[in-house]
Amino acid sequence: VNRERLRRFRMQLLIFLAVLGPGIITANVDNDAGGIYTYSVAGAKFGYSLLWTLLPITVALVVVQEMVARMGVVTGKGLADLIREEYGFRTTFILMMLLLAADLGNTIAEFAGLASGMSVFGVTRYIAVPLGALLVWALVVKGTYRFVEKVFLAACVFYVAYPVSCFLAHPKWPDAVISTLKPSFQFSAGYFYMLTGVVGTTIAPWMQFYLQAAVVEKGIKVKEYIYSRWDVIVGCIITDVVAFFIIVACAATIYMSGNRQINDAGDAALALRPLAGHAASVLFAFGLCNASLFSACILPLATAYYVCEGLGLEAGINKRFHEAPTFYWLYTTLIVLGALAVMLLSEAKQIPIILLSQVANGILLPFVLIFMLRLVNRDDLMGKYKNSRLFNNIAWVTCVVMIALTLLLVVSTFFPNKLPS
Amino acid sequence: MIYFTELEHLPIYGVKGEYLGRLEDLCVDPSQNALRVASYLVKTPKKTIICITHEQMQSLSVRAGQTRVPREEVRCYAPDEGLLKVKKDILDQQIIDVNNRKVVRVNDVDFDIQPTDQHTELRIIGVNVGLAAALRRLLQGLMAKHTVRMITSLFPTKIIPWEFVNLIEPDPQRRIKLRLSYDRVAELHPADIADILEELGRDEQKAVIEGLDEETAAQALSEIPTRMQADLLESISAQKAADIVEEMPPDEAADVLHELSPETSAEVLADMEKDEANEVRELLGFEENTAGALMTTEYVVVHESATVEGAITALKSFEGAIESIHAIHLVDNTAVLTAAVPVGRILLSEASMPLKEIGSDSLISVPSHSDANSVVDLFHKYNLISLPVVDDSGHLLGVVTADDVLELVINKKQFRRRG
Repeated sequence: VNRERLRRFRMQLLIFLAVLGPGIITANVDNDAGGIYTYSVAGAKFGYSLLWTLLPITVALVVVQEMVARMGVVTGKGLADLIREEYGFRTTFILMMLLLAADLGNTIAEFAGLASGMSVFGVTRYIAVPLGALLVWALVVKGTYRFVEKVFLAACVFYVAYPVSCFLAHPKWPDAVISTLKPSFQFSAGYFYMLTGVVGTTIAPWMQFYLQAAVVEKGIKVKEYIYSRWDVIVGCIITDVVAFFIIVACAATIYMSGNRQINDAGDAALALRPLAGHAASVLFAFGLCNASLFSACILPLATAYYVCEGLGLEAGINKRFHEAPTFYWLYTTLIVLGALAVMLLSEAKQIPIILLSQVANGILLPFVLIFMLRLVNRDDLMGKYKNSRLFNNIAWVTCVVMIALTLLLVVSTFFPNKLPS
Repeated sequence: MIYFTELEHLPIYGVKGEYLGRLEDLCVDPSQNALRVASYLVKTPKKTIICITHEQMQSLSVRAGQTRVPREEVRCYAPDEGLLKVKKDILDQQIIDVNNRKVVRVNDVDFDIQPTDQHTELRIIGVNVGLAAALRRLLQGLMAKHTVRMITSLFPTKIIPWEFVNLIEPDPQRRIKLRLSYDRVAELHPADIADILEELGRDEQKAVIEGLDEETAAQALSEIPTRMQADLLESISAQKAADIVEEMPPDEAADVLHELSPETSAEVLADMEKDEANEVRELLGFEENTAGALMTTEYVVVHESATVEGAITALKSFEGAIESIHAIHLVDNTAVLTAAVPVGRILLSEASMPLKEIGSDSLISVPSHSDANSVVDLFHKYNLISLPVVDDSGHLLGVVTADDVLELVINKKQFRRRG
């Protein structure tokens, strides 16, 4: 009996490993340059006190991501496709343009992250950014699928730099654990702004499109869905575990030191050097470069892919340039613009673009979440895989809270002084 | 020519000029005329939907439409599954462009206005998938219709004539009501059908497979990745799946059954013809990535004493896919393989010639348990197009053909992204 059980377990493990990927890769791209910066600031400014948000965020992330993964497996169609079929061309077009704007901002943020990470190693942005852009472009266009997948998986493994860096910072573990489990609240504008930032950076509209497309692309069977769900859950947990270590590392060092001002994620790495040692600093910067390159690779590609899909244009790396011109132009333009913006514009001039991208995200998220919830509840589409009533209630509450927080983030970005303190 | 985007929300008036409402959708009745718009659905100011038949329509233009009957004679709309609705069923949906062998998404539908003596008819010309149509969707309603026409005329347009449009309807009962058939898709090359299948969502894949005859379905399925094959077969009835698997070459059939869940696999095997099921069962017994798992059990074998005439008789009575037969295998009294004779040599020899004398000089075969890589090496080294597989005592078990080896090599080679 035991041997039989062992055999079954091994069989299940094998299927899980085969299905594994979309959830974990999406989750890791989520911890991109912008994410790392937000978590660093959260730790540097507020110490351990924002850690408790990670648990509810993980739950919200799992709830949302699980639904899109399920839709992908059951319908075999991307989210952009489903929205187009249900809500028509114009709605889809507007969504896709907002997504494009949001992702352009994200791509700029990735290259800025790369520049800031490489500056810790003494490499100027005028070398790091064009090289990074070329590498990213060539990897996807010239590389083969298997090779790219291996590179992605390796990139996922490198996130281990953050836990190691965190251990080197010798945090007060009991404090960190208690702060994670016990919610606390500070009634100040700054604290609230940070809270919405942490939440907003974790659940982004593009992730929903990317995850569903990746699930479809992988051709996961309905029967294997249970394993795909675990892929999503594991991915979400990894995202927030990495976030935990980044916050703790910065809390234990920069926050404790009293000089809590950091301007970008590279600053955080530099600030770690006198406080946690050279190795911690280098690891932190390395993690940042890895995350930035990884996301700079996936974001423009995914964007070009689902924008074309939603608009009914040819897309895919296996097509030649003249067969899918829009796809290739979009992909190349996103990378070139992203890299150029970081090289040519001063940081002050990048701010309007980043703001625009945040606004686009803020407008998009309510629509994407509500469309998603309506689609996932459609009988003809999902059949017996639609939301249960209990899950539906949880999902609606999650989405309403997410929408409210995201809109607040947008508002507070524009009127930083209007929040009651 | 008039586009659906121009017709949508068109104001419709009654015979005395009274306002009836705005055009909501167009219905085609495939049971009567697959090209003509049979009725016009109009949304009244009271939000009810009325249905104007094609005979009741007096005139239509980009500005307005007018009926030739008073409001009282127009019926309310009663939902009818047998009607094809342009907005609901065609616009924004995926269709198969049979002529260009690919899947596209509909941006707009083009019509021709045909005034007859008593009334006006709309005929479908085709679906529009080009950039101009996309732009029209965006701009229509925001500015005057002639301005939209002017702007969109600057952009390339792409129309698929209606006779090359194949709609996809997941619901089998509605498929019958709408008289949808996949005959024209079935005429495409199986590799093209496979490409089309890969582009579709799950329900649409199922609809196309169910609409094809078993033989075409089997050929098309053989061209798509095994995982997707299994997924599709699991989604249709076991009986239909068995019918399709029966038509597949035994080695392909074994591969796909291997991928199915044990329960479904057993069910499909039970529903298959006995002989075919047994062949596949034998193949299922071999371990993955061995010569045995690669081989097919469809081959031609004769006794070593046979002549060319006997070989031709054997070929004529062979029931499998004849194009995959490259050689005839000779066995002795104990079924041990002794020689392989290329079909080409048989064609060029006298009928009375003993096969033994025209067989290959040296017999190349491979044991069933040897590794797939060594099979590839043998094909490469000896420039083979087929290779017999034997058990440890030399009994002929099956044949590996070049197409299977090529597939193996290609799969191992790195696939292009999203390839």
